[in-house]
Amino acid sequence: MKHRSCRLSALVLLGLCASLFSAGADAKNITLQYWSWDSSVKKQNEEIIAKFEAENPGVKVELTTLETTEYWVKLRLLANQGKLPDIFNMSSGYLEEWAKAGFVKDLTKDIQDDLDKETFYMNTLDVGRDIAGTGKYCALPYALVTTVLFYNKDMFDKAGIAYPDKNWTWDDFRKAAKKLTIVKDGKVEQYGFWFFGRYTNVESWIFANNGNLVDQATHTYKPDANAIEAMKFLCDLVTKDKVAPAKKEMGAYRYQDVFPQGVAAMWVDGSWFIDNNRTIIGDKFKWDIAEVPVGPHGDGKTAYGWPDFVALSPNSPNSAMAWKFAKFVCGQGVSIDMYMAGKIPTYKPLTESPAFLEKDKQPANKGLLITQVQQKTLKTSYTQGWSEWRGYGPAENLGLNGIIDAIIDGGMTFDEGMKKADVNINAILKRYYK
Amino acid sequence: MLKHKLSWYRGWVPYVMLIPTVIGLLIFRLGPLLGSLAISFTDLNMLTPATFVGLANYKEMFQNPSFIQTAENTFLFSLVYVVGVMVLGLGLALVLNRKAKGIGFFRAAFYSPVVTSAVAVGIVWSWILSPRLGILNQLLSALGLNEVYWLGDPKLALYVVAIIQVWKMSGYYMILFLAGLKDIPDTIQEAAIVDGANGRQRFFRVTLPLLSPTTFFVLNVAIIDSFKNFELIYAMTKGGPQNATNTLVYDIYINGFIHFRLGYASAVSYFLLACVAVITIINFIFKKRWVKHQY
Repeated sequence: MKHRSCRLSALVLLGLCASLFSAGADAKNITLQYWSWDSSVKKQNEEIIAKFEAENPGVKVELTTLETTEYWVKLRLLANQGKLPDIFNMSSGYLEEWAKAGFVKDLTKDIQDDLDKETFYMNTLDVGRDIAGTGKYCALPYALVTTVLFYNKDMFDKAGIAYPDKNWTWDDFRKAAKKLTIVKDGKVEQYGFWFFGRYTNVESWIFANNGNLVDQATHTYKPDANAIEAMKFLCDLVTKDKVAPAKKEMGAYRYQDVFPQGVAAMWVDGSWFIDNNRTIIGDKFKWDIAEVPVGPHGDGKTAYGWPDFVALSPNSPNSAMAWKFAKFVCGQGVSIDMYMAGKIPTYKPLTESPAFLEKDKQPANKGLLITQVQQKTLKTSYTQGWSEWRGYGPAENLGLNGIIDAIIDGGMTFDEGMKKADVNINAILKRYYK
Repeated sequence: MLKHKLSWYRGWVPYVMLIPTVIGLLIFRLGPLLGSLAISFTDLNMLTPATFVGLANYKEMFQNPSFIQTAENTFLFSLVYVVGVMVLGLGLALVLNRKAKGIGFFRAAFYSPVVTSAVAVGIVWSWILSPRLGILNQLLSALGLNEVYWLGDPKLALYVVAIIQVWKMSGYYMILFLAGLKDIPDTIQEAAIVDGANGRQRFFRVTLPLLSPTTFFVLNVAIIDSFKNFELIYAMTKGGPQNATNTLVYDIYINGFIHFRLGYASAVSYFLLACVAVITIINFIFKKRWVKHQY
């Protein structure tokens, strides 16, 4: 009798344990903390949360939305205190630092065992794994951002030039830029092209020429010949060909407004500026997007592209539910209006739906973005300390950005700029990779 | 009667009253000040555990050519600003120190940039100064002159930002000088007139010497203020072009809150603190040579 009651107790205990463990992702009365850096999609995030909560009774997701600068300061403080939210937005620019510091959960097993790989562009996950530099998947991407050539179709028509396509060479581009530059009474009325030292404006050409800025093995700034060729080509467009303005000449404009204001006929920047273009251009002129022209050493198979992620706290008490929410917030929960018309959802059913192409709006060639994510090898130049050496955000006039601006503004020669970049950037990288 | 009302008074009462203020100062001023000093000897980045690096941050600071340029920018900005606000502030105060109809309007008008958002001021001035579309360059073009890259030319940009800061803050110093001018008794000015002093002599021999305590105060406040030059630089140039408008305060912000190099940013903060302290001490040392009190 005694033995029987012992066995019964053990069975009850086992049953209790099993039910506790199996609760996992379906546990009741769970509150998840979700931090977002993007106030422009707060409403959409709230809708995602409402859907998720409806599908998961007993689960509550508390959303905190902060502006980017404030977001990173507060998130770092929380990480330092071991109080990270269960799930939070993560940038490609910071992923390596956070992954190596152990403040993002290793999602390798979750992704291998519990992610429908048919519904996600797995190459975007691989880019994240490479950026993290740990050989592990440390975040789940919800969007890919890439760069494209924006061009003004009306200006092309007026100049009698065929629209750019994937076969365009740099020579074709330069010739078109020359034809599109209009000078009247000694003053440039219309520029063929616009760029400055910004990362999207420069690295796009470097990768299109099969170049690299950073030696990822030694973590040193070592632009190869193809990268130098690309930077020289760009700087010459301003200093020799005079088909693009110096940075100092465009002081009246926000950089993203030069093309939509009709000041320049072509511009290479992030695909997320489609939204801004639509707002400013309206019906004033026809425009479209094309691939960044392939350089003399490029193979046409590479594009500049990096994901925006969600990451999970390594110490979350609700990690199973947080993973479930991460899949939802990157997958079936998202809507097309969260992507600024130009970010590419990593969730295939959304990207490959007719809604993504927005056939009734400009640009007509939006399908190009799908080609970028489906067919190209995606490259980036992210390292630790990237914003410092590259010159980004409030430091955008410093770093490599500032040096390229100085070259095109006539403050230094190309060779002087490259030497300065080599010394300054390697001093910075040396600090981060001791 | 008074004695009866203060019967509760004891010698220790003021000290008790001071406790909340002293606690506040210790926690919110001295605490962070000392904390920052400690941080300046570490590589704190708010993510990984900080390690003690000794004087490495200070060493890096002085070996970095761009930091030397940043420090030079800061002192140049400070010089233009202090001279500018003192001359313009005093000039405005002298012009507006009279009883005339509508004088209040002009005082308010000159003071209004002080209370206007620095970011808004920066944006508006950026438009005024911009090449191609800016009203100033259009004016130059109309006169047949070449356009000037006010904020794009590294030789000009720092002066331009400093002058805009002078324009913005002169109203504040005007109020301080006005208060000082009001404090000079009319009888002294009248005595000088009776003695046959002309306007110039009265200004240099009477007004300026009697205004010297105010001038001393204004000088110190302006110097300290000149080092706090963040907002306009953020709104107008972001430290560019070619590091030409990067100042110590902007450098602290960039390193502290963009690159999260809090150890290095703290070291730069202490360098800035040392500079302000040394200049202020020198001011106090030379004070007795030129500051004349009436009473």
